[in-house]
Amino acid sequence: MSSRILDRRDFLRVLGIGGAAATLAGCGNTSIESGKELVMSYVQPEDFVVPGVGVYYASTCTQCGSGCGIMGRVREGRILKLEGNPQSLISAGKICGLGQAGVQVHYNPDRLRTPLMREGDTLKPVSWEKAQASLNSRLGPASTLAGNQIAFLTGEISGHQKVMVEALLESFGSDNHVVYDALSTVTGRAASKAVIGESLPVLKIDQARMILSFGNDFLGSGVSPVYMAAQYARFRKAPRGTLVQIEPRMTLTGANADRWYAIKPGTEGVFALGLAHALLAHESYAHSLPAELEAALKPYDKDTVSEVTGVHAEAIPHLAGMLWEKSPSLVLSGPSAEGHVRGFNNAAAIQLLNLILNNRGRSLLGSAVHPFPQLVSATGSYSALVKLNQDMSAGRVQTLLLVGTNPVFTAPTFLPFANNLSKVPFKVAFVTQLDETAHQCDLVLPLLSPLEDFGTHVASYQPSGVEVQIQQPLMEKLYPETRGFGDILLELVKLRRPEVYKAFPDYYSYLKTAVTKAKPVFKATTGDDEFWEDALRSGVLRLDLPAAALESKEGASVVQVDTPRVLDTDVHYPFFFVPSVRADLRDGRHANLPWLQESPDPLTTVVWDSWVDIHPKTANEMQIREGDILEVQSATGSMRAKAYLFPGIQPDTVSMPLGQGHTAYGRYADGMGVNPFKLFDPMFDEKTGELALYATRVIIKKTGENALVVKDEGPTSLQQNRKLVATIGADQAQLAKENAHVTE
Amino acid sequence: MNVCIKKLMVWLSLWALVGSALAEPFAPGGAIGSQTDDGYNALGPVVEQPFEFPHNVHAGQMGINCMYCHTYARRSAVSGIPRLDKCMGCHKLIESVKDKPRIKKLFEYWDKKEPIPWKKVHDLPDFVRFNHERHIQRFYFREKRSIRETCGYCHGDVASMTTARRVKALSMGWCISCHQKEHLENASTTKTSNGPNDCWQCHK
Amino acid sequence: MSLSNLIKNWSSLRVRRPYEGQYKGKDYKWAMVIDLDACTGCNACTTACYAENNLPVVGKESFAKGQAMHWIRIERYWGPGDHMTEEFPQRGAQFLPMLCQQCEAAPCEVVCPVGATHHTPDGLNSQVYNRCIGSRYCSANCPYKVRYFNWWQYPERAWPNPLELQLNPDVTVRSKGVMEKCTFCVQRLTEAKNRARTENRLVADGEVTTACAQACPTSAITFGNLANEKSTVAKMWQAHQIKLASDVQEKDDTVRGYRIFEDLRTYPSIVYLEQVRDLEA
Repeated sequence: MSSRILDRRDFLRVLGIGGAAATLAGCGNTSIESGKELVMSYVQPEDFVVPGVGVYYASTCTQCGSGCGIMGRVREGRILKLEGNPQSLISAGKICGLGQAGVQVHYNPDRLRTPLMREGDTLKPVSWEKAQASLNSRLGPASTLAGNQIAFLTGEISGHQKVMVEALLESFGSDNHVVYDALSTVTGRAASKAVIGESLPVLKIDQARMILSFGNDFLGSGVSPVYMAAQYARFRKAPRGTLVQIEPRMTLTGANADRWYAIKPGTEGVFALGLAHALLAHESYAHSLPAELEAALKPYDKDTVSEVTGVHAEAIPHLAGMLWEKSPSLVLSGPSAEGHVRGFNNAAAIQLLNLILNNRGRSLLGSAVHPFPQLVSATGSYSALVKLNQDMSAGRVQTLLLVGTNPVFTAPTFLPFANNLSKVPFKVAFVTQLDETAHQCDLVLPLLSPLEDFGTHVASYQPSGVEVQIQQPLMEKLYPETRGFGDILLELVKLRRPEVYKAFPDYYSYLKTAVTKAKPVFKATTGDDEFWEDALRSGVLRLDLPAAALESKEGASVVQVDTPRVLDTDVHYPFFFVPSVRADLRDGRHANLPWLQESPDPLTTVVWDSWVDIHPKTANEMQIREGDILEVQSATGSMRAKAYLFPGIQPDTVSMPLGQGHTAYGRYADGMGVNPFKLFDPMFDEKTGELALYATRVIIKKTGENALVVKDEGPTSLQQNRKLVATIGADQAQLAKENAHVTE
Repeated sequence: MNVCIKKLMVWLSLWALVGSALAEPFAPGGAIGSQTDDGYNALGPVVEQPFEFPHNVHAGQMGINCMYCHTYARRSAVSGIPRLDKCMGCHKLIESVKDKPRIKKLFEYWDKKEPIPWKKVHDLPDFVRFNHERHIQRFYFREKRSIRETCGYCHGDVASMTTARRVKALSMGWCISCHQKEHLENASTTKTSNGPNDCWQCHK
Repeated sequence: MSLSNLIKNWSSLRVRRPYEGQYKGKDYKWAMVIDLDACTGCNACTTACYAENNLPVVGKESFAKGQAMHWIRIERYWGPGDHMTEEFPQRGAQFLPMLCQQCEAAPCEVVCPVGATHHTPDGLNSQVYNRCIGSRYCSANCPYKVRYFNWWQYPERAWPNPLELQLNPDVTVRSKGVMEKCTFCVQRLTEAKNRARTENRLVADGEVTTACAQACPTSAITFGNLANEKSTVAKMWQAHQIKLASDVQEKDDTVRGYRIFEDLRTYPSIVYLEQVRDLEA
């Protein structure tokens, strides 16, 4: 970087249109030409900007809540590619496919470019002045809204954007900040908090000698997958750890397991208690639980557990033996174990194993206490949406603001969210692209893309110490009629609280002031400007803090131990239905990104579509072939998709991927597949009230139609004795020797 | 260019492959402005620019080194059009020409902080990668040829032009004709080597 | 390569069998190691390749016809044999990142009627788009099936405005009728070599890597210069007892390295390391 401290915005401004309008390679020039293409000069660039040479800027990925540090490669004023920022502890210079596709959020041809306002049944483009006037008249000083009549519905949100949301609400005396996550992890967190002592403890995957995971997809759709993958790579180096995965439908993590077990959905808790019972047989672990709990585990013998769970009985003593031997271990619970009526108890029973195995303090640590609690990520839940839905239904919400969430798409049908939304007189959506929810709002404001905007973030999972991640623009905004989320909110808050906010001409100056104020906490001795420049340059503010101790008052006592019972068979709906969450599409918010649509699902290699996973044995019994169009019917709804014969699924279970089935989310999403969110039955976790996503039962009907499943896989999924992917036993491989040879 | 024409080119080259191993270089056009007639002179069209930049004044009368303005040439694949503040660095201080129409134009762009929409004169096909840095480093910095000779080999005697005009064919055969020559590795040796002969050096 | 040069040296530019010490004393021989035990099949590499190399998104219909343009793809297998022996894939899946193997004796090179694909001095199998006439012989002759043909004029349909602003100016956008494939990110190699040359040195180990290797969250892909014996990639080739110019490797049973379809004598530049499974689990 140049020695001159230059205001980052000045840099972007002076880059000027010269950068953005630079000619593109590959637009058809195949001969030697003169005078046909323009070649624009820079007006007044920074010294380090050289045409033809890429410049990298640090920022933070906002594609999920992991807070990976990224580097944007910028050339001639255009952002070309996102890469991991080596200075970020979380990404460590690496990046996932979802993160890379962030450039397609920015360059998406379906980006919203002007504000839209409702006129009757349609949304009509309006000028910013008109949009702002409408906003000001409703939310300005003259507003009659009071208290929780105004609500802000967001997805997972952190940093100063969250602060602004809450400041705006607070100026009305409202605390109605509703954080909704369609793939809520609240149940698992609550169980972890109760048993282990922290809702999201630090997992020392690289320290564990064995991981037993109940459907936790930490390599795919879990929390902080890029960080976890790097940890996993270390876990697999000598001495190589062993991964065992138990779940009804194979996840990406399950596909990497040394041993994968299929289990009947919802019986994970029974299996965990069976394992607990077996573990206590070892003298080192005997009496590690309260006596009455130990006594209650008596009925959980391997044969009973096997009958309930569908897992081979010998698996239990076998796993217990491995866990005795490989210590410290790490036992993880995941969404497929938690998304049930007894989800909390399942997760608690799974966490109980960590207590027995004495993993706390070894492979499970407390995370550091964040010095800025107001910036910490707000965790989304389903129950928050239920509460909002009731308020809307009762007419208690007069104005609803929405950002980073699409509940019309993700809310289940029995929660008539869309209906109740229409009862709110004034609904404002902040989006980069129109989606199903924004279509139903009265005012839609076009946001800057995350690559054009400033912001701060705090990762939902803090693996070590604490960090504040900095987001900065990587290029000048594409469309003049788009604005930053922080800027819009600041304008509103300024109208209502001029005495507090009038000093800040824009969100940038607010952010700069706020961040530099935090300087003492980060023990920086530089000047304010320098501190800010350093923060922008490295993309992260880091503080090494000791891990807090993990303690829990309730501990093992939370776990309810009932008599193990075989699940009822449902004559009307004989199949268990579990959704699969793709690491890239997640809850569907990324279905508008063409790279992700064309990126094959790792397990099935299907692209651009939905499908129904069915075990080949079951399919054979029902005479279902690949591509047969099946009707999947639950008590709540029904939908059609092509069958895909998938061996990694429990035979009484069918599965469909979430994320597809959009109807108003741009050209790359619309009409691709179906939306299984609309299949879910009203089943809730009895403790937390969260929607039980893995508890729906369905019936499968053949429609007699068949269509080609569009996938990358060839006619066979077997290697046919060609040495493509060779496998070697862990006892044979000499990983330590290999490593020594390379590092010497 | 459209696909059909591209296909045609390909088939022509195929024909050449079969028909003649000694395809003669294509060399129409005059030798105006070129320093050497290597059989590849091909005068390009006159390119209308936003205003007539006088290379003859800057590089000719004043004798300014090409790289003073085209500063990126020695450190990037592209030589780049000079940044606007580079022009202003001098012209802010040169009172005598401030009233000239083209200087007025320059100030107009500067005041608006807008780049000047120059037209590209030497435009290679998109599948070709020509690296200025490599050529400048080799012939100017290592072999110590003069800058006018180094740049002029491809661009002609720009110091005698106002706005630049293409004088060389810029064809692949012309590139190869030079790559096949033996060039001194540096000014203090008699050791020679020739340019790379590998498709991916230039094709991308 | 000029036409006259191509014709004059036709036979020498065709592939010969590689020999031991071929790259000794040479500046570069690019090569790769992919650790299948570290690969989780997450597809970060494939997306990175789309971003770096201007790969078109072909859409569902074209994908269905096998016209996908992923220079690196993740193949997923459920077992080594020709039928599944167990009810479930109880040892997980087998993921295989498959990309151009940059063969030293590339089957694609010998069949190109126009010399559009040939071997570079640093051991890459190059593809020159403007020379390609789209005969597709190369693709037919490739045992790895890693060559991709442009069935459509993608520049006009794959990047609706403003998606084209993302295109990497260092890489050509291929038009209809030409073949394309993984280049080991040759634009990055060229840039690194250029930088090194200006500073009068060779490209250092770790100075340049491919987009896939850079993205890979588990660092399963190692890329480097095999001609430099001290490079990580060269050490790994040694540790796994793989010789570039051999088609039958004499190595210990416990060594994980192997090259795919080595018996076809393609002499690939990519070594895969066997997946490890705790078979007692």
